[in-house]
Amino acid sequence: MRIASLFRRTPFRLTVLFLALFTTAAASVLTYVYLASAHEARVQAEQAVDAKLQALRAIYASRGVAGLNQALIERATGGDDGLFLLRSASGERVTGNLEASPIEGLPDGEASTSFTLTEANDAGRLVKITAWGREVRLSGGERLFVGEDMASGQAFLARLSEGLWGAAALVFLLGLSGGLILSRQVERGMAALNTAVEAVRAGDLNARIPLRKSGDELDELAQGLNLMLDRLQQSMANLRHVGDAIAHDLRTPLTRLRARLESALIEVEAGRGDPVQALSTALSETDSLLKTFNTVLAIARLQAARETPDKTVFDAAELAADMAELYEPAAEDKGLEFAAEVEKGLMIQGDRAFLAQALANILDNAIKYTPAGGAVMLRARRRSTGEVEFSATDTGPGVPRDERARVLQRFVRLENSRSEPGSGLGLSLVQAVAEAHGGTIRLDEGPGAFGGYGPGLRVAILLPPA
Amino acid sequence: MRILIVEDDVEAAEAMCRGLVASGHQCVVAADGAYGLKEAGDSDFDVYVVDRMMPRLDGLAMVETLRRTGDQTPVLFLSALGEVDDRVAGLKAGGDDYLVKPYALSELVARVEALARRRETGSVQTVLKVGDLEMDLIARSVHRAGQEIDLQPREFQLLEFLMRHAGQSVTRTMLLEKVWEYHFDPQTNVIDVHISRLRSKIDKGFDRAMLQTVRGAGYRLEA
Repeated sequence: MRIASLFRRTPFRLTVLFLALFTTAAASVLTYVYLASAHEARVQAEQAVDAKLQALRAIYASRGVAGLNQALIERATGGDDGLFLLRSASGERVTGNLEASPIEGLPDGEASTSFTLTEANDAGRLVKITAWGREVRLSGGERLFVGEDMASGQAFLARLSEGLWGAAALVFLLGLSGGLILSRQVERGMAALNTAVEAVRAGDLNARIPLRKSGDELDELAQGLNLMLDRLQQSMANLRHVGDAIAHDLRTPLTRLRARLESALIEVEAGRGDPVQALSTALSETDSLLKTFNTVLAIARLQAARETPDKTVFDAAELAADMAELYEPAAEDKGLEFAAEVEKGLMIQGDRAFLAQALANILDNAIKYTPAGGAVMLRARRRSTGEVEFSATDTGPGVPRDERARVLQRFVRLENSRSEPGSGLGLSLVQAVAEAHGGTIRLDEGPGAFGGYGPGLRVAILLPPA
Repeated sequence: MRILIVEDDVEAAEAMCRGLVASGHQCVVAADGAYGLKEAGDSDFDVYVVDRMMPRLDGLAMVETLRRTGDQTPVLFLSALGEVDDRVAGLKAGGDDYLVKPYALSELVARVEALARRRETGSVQTVLKVGDLEMDLIARSVHRAGQEIDLQPREFQLLEFLMRHAGQSVTRTMLLEKVWEYHFDPQTNVIDVHISRLRSKIDKGFDRAMLQTVRGAGYRLEA
């Protein structure tokens, strides 16, 4: 990684930014602490100096220059680490532990100053120490200087700043290397991501981003992208499936239609067939072909989208009642007993036209396959689970248990049903509609065999409530 | 009746035209929405048959333009798009009926005639009369030759629709759409059974059958 490209990386830039912020903050704190401590040391020195000056002036007042002199000597030997200098009115040094007054000249009244001392420290090295002192003119014209060194405060400050700078340097180093490692890691994660995106863009929908199992947001993103790719791939596969299904499902009836037309043409050319008859047969075959096409397309679309295009909330009870009303005469005409049991208020969310088609298909099947004298019943109710259930029960021959899954497949028709008109798509469409609504289709045995009828079939559509 | 067909598929337009002419109508064909607008402006038509998807100006835009200029001629949309949303979009744009491709010619002719008829009987009627059959829409009663006929609610609606389109062919799909208000394929001819029940009520015992079956198309109520 070159430095220039390193600086373009977000994690590294963030690291540097935070280091800069930290450094500025540390410097500010240090400066503040330094200034505050320096001020405090000065104030303390001033207070100490003034207290000593007051005490010494009292001695001077009561015992004169000699007494003061005595007191100064006592202090110098008595462990007072203050700085003292007594000068005569003419400025000559009288006594004290300073060689010369830090105050220049002989000012009237008071004067104070900061100054530096050079002292040998514990290790015998010469160090400069900052001190502060004040000089007062005594009533006899002598000048008394009292000072305090601020060595202890200074040493503390020096240690503090040393510590802080050390810490700052450590943080800077750690931060920088941390930033580098982080950049590297993010870089590596992004590289995997970029590689996968690149592959997908090049047309490889199988490309996936390897997960690092770290559970971080990059992994989360990778997981999300992988899921997205899965869904995309599924959709593409479904789309392809739709095309394949339609091609496959239409080839057979188209071939049949073509054969019929061809043989009709031969017949008519030979002067045998009836052209009107041939044409009208062809027309009705075309119609049923179109119907098949529409149904296959609808099933394929429902399966591909996994949901219906036009969802509204409506009362399925009304729909069931309408369907019962629509189909009842047809059932009765065939000599079947027809009954409908519809509970009130079955709100569902779905596509009304598709559900109408699904109910029509199961009613149509029930009526078609039940011999005269039998019965067909439509029920719509809410189960205890909250699901809305539509069922059509008949007393026809039913579907053997091991055939029930098969009759849901497209174009599958049972042997004994081939005499009835039909495409073998009815139940496939019902299943597609049910599943597109998040529901299921169930085939069960009807009321059982009795007097030559039965055992019957019960087809149920279960839909989740709205 | 004069019918304007706006359809970019020339062959389909010609077939439509032949079907309409065979039923005694005149027709003019326009190849897209822009030509359609021009033709509609040049002369009067009883019905517009408009394909939804065309080059240049599509059907929806054309009908919206017509409606904005105050043209209230009934519109039958033709479309390969059959989802409910598409239907709703067509009706919102100002269409009066919607026919999904592919369709049977008889279905198209029946719908065109129904649309033209609806325009003629625009006023609100409370009593419908066809021959000696009389329907009172307020009292919800039906009489034929003075004899009361007892009808179920749906039979009443079915007869009302047939009476409003007396003399015209109505298809089974039209009945399912307009009387039951469902758009789906009922597989078997459940509508036929309803019609035959209605027929037994209004025609039984009378010397002439009013409710007739039109081969290959549907039904017609004749005076």
